[in-house]
Amino acid sequence: MSKRIDVHHVTRVEGHGNIVVEVANSQLKECRFDVVETPRFFEAMLLGRPYTEASHITSRICGICATGHATTSLRASEKALGIEPSQQTVLLRKLSFHGEILDSHILHVYMLVAPDFLGVGSVIPLASSHPEVVLRALRMKKLSGDMCAIVTGRHTHPIAMTVGGFTHFPKRAELESLRQRLEAARADVDATVELFASLPWPQFERDTEYISLTKPDEYAFIDGEIKSSDGMKLPIESYREVTNEYMVPHSTAKFTRFQRESYMVGALARFNNNYDQLHPRAKAAAAALGMKPKVTNTYLNSGAQVVEITHCIEDAILIVDQLLEKGVTPEEPVAPTRQSGEGVGSCDVPRGILFHHYWIGEDGNITGANCIIPTNQNIANLEADMRVLVPQIMDKPVDGMRLDLEMMVRAYDPCISCSVHVAKLVTK
Amino acid sequence: MIGIGNPLQCDDGLGACAAQLLAEEALPAGVQIEELGTPGWGLVNFLQGWQRVILIDAVCMGEEPGTWRRLEKDEIQLVASDQVRSLHEPGLAESLSLAQTLGLLPDEIVLYGVEPACIQPGDKLSPAVRQAMPPLIKHILGELWKKTQTPNGSF
Repeated sequence: MSKRIDVHHVTRVEGHGNIVVEVANSQLKECRFDVVETPRFFEAMLLGRPYTEASHITSRICGICATGHATTSLRASEKALGIEPSQQTVLLRKLSFHGEILDSHILHVYMLVAPDFLGVGSVIPLASSHPEVVLRALRMKKLSGDMCAIVTGRHTHPIAMTVGGFTHFPKRAELESLRQRLEAARADVDATVELFASLPWPQFERDTEYISLTKPDEYAFIDGEIKSSDGMKLPIESYREVTNEYMVPHSTAKFTRFQRESYMVGALARFNNNYDQLHPRAKAAAAALGMKPKVTNTYLNSGAQVVEITHCIEDAILIVDQLLEKGVTPEEPVAPTRQSGEGVGSCDVPRGILFHHYWIGEDGNITGANCIIPTNQNIANLEADMRVLVPQIMDKPVDGMRLDLEMMVRAYDPCISCSVHVAKLVTK
Repeated sequence: MIGIGNPLQCDDGLGACAAQLLAEEALPAGVQIEELGTPGWGLVNFLQGWQRVILIDAVCMGEEPGTWRRLEKDEIQLVASDQVRSLHEPGLAESLSLAQTLGLLPDEIVLYGVEPACIQPGDKLSPAVRQAMPPLIKHILGELWKKTQTPNGSF
């Protein structure tokens, strides 16, 4: 038996990637995920620019994770210049970060993953067959976008976040209204958990190394330490010891590896590493989805995203309560305590752990920058998953194999960058 | 009134340009101007709750660059692909089609389509499209004020 699967540009992911799988005489001959995006040179764009512009430039790396990039960028500059943001700043950043996690996860699980399970090609036929599902997704998307806008001035590409603080502050009435909407969203969250708990998740098990941020006192999204599920914690400044980037001929993205041949980042890694710190309602959602750490079914990365949707709604309510109790007072951004320096910022953005590393010169301009995004870190692990998956499904018809492989790619929620195309299948 | 399009793609930015020009004019009460860029599915949420929505976007109609047409709901062909492959992909047709399927389209929807001369990286409108802007804005303002002055006006 010989089969070749050549999915040129996998659909319902962000950016260009190709699946190439070849089976000859029931032996796996070839198994690759080609990343064919052009390099984007954001690090080079930062060179010579004032550090105050860095968060606005790097937020454009992604139209979905804009707040994640901006927050990571601000933390890198703040560490370089010895700035400790106020407690109010920390709370406001967490709130907008939750908004972005919600927005990204809702889009992924509803618009990109659900169509696979509900037997439709995309969200447009889904709107005919399951209108209530799409209406719910749009309602939740609006809430999460408004959450970002209230705090950072707009839905995407935050304008009010700056090094050391904020330039705009939410009004009390906005926070009160947001709190009401978050409480009302619990019904949509419950319906989301119910829907995804009812889906027939593909069976697949492969233990790997899970890497995420971790903090002693909360489910980590911003700052903390790097944690490996294989038992190691490192300061984020040691990120290069974890990422160990290397090049392969078939990909324009750099691959990474730490203690094994590959590692996984993202919602499932956070879930596995930091489960204890999830909100009780999120743990209940995990139970409904049949998930308890350590989960080694990669497809359930999307399940972990549903768990995090629950967590972020509940945690956002707690944050808004704190802000309402203390009252939000306009304050000047904290000033630098030194004029130059080097700093690493790290956040666990929707798709996994992200690093920005900056060097800032005496004139306040950036002299060096390094950004390592989550999707790069996942590609070696995706290929390792595909090498285990293919022998398990090689007796299926080619269409079935292709769907399983595409769903595996989508489970990682890869953000390869912008674009599209057609699936091509070659059998022989 | 919603201006659509990417101002970093030359004439695709005409929707944004029109929104900015309209925002400088005196407008009837109850009119809101939005410059949405490339909103993807987000457009659907902006359409909800309004009686009437006027969209301005670059539309390839096979006309001379700078030519504009006023299209009513039933004249806008909602040609949407069943296979929306990425969150970066959904455009005006896909978002309007989704809104229509979900019953979220406003009662009245009008699209002012302007024929672009160039859609490529750049932050300037082509001369033909730039020259088309003042008469287009004047026409839209006329429509807005006329609507609000009629007893049965929609606003």
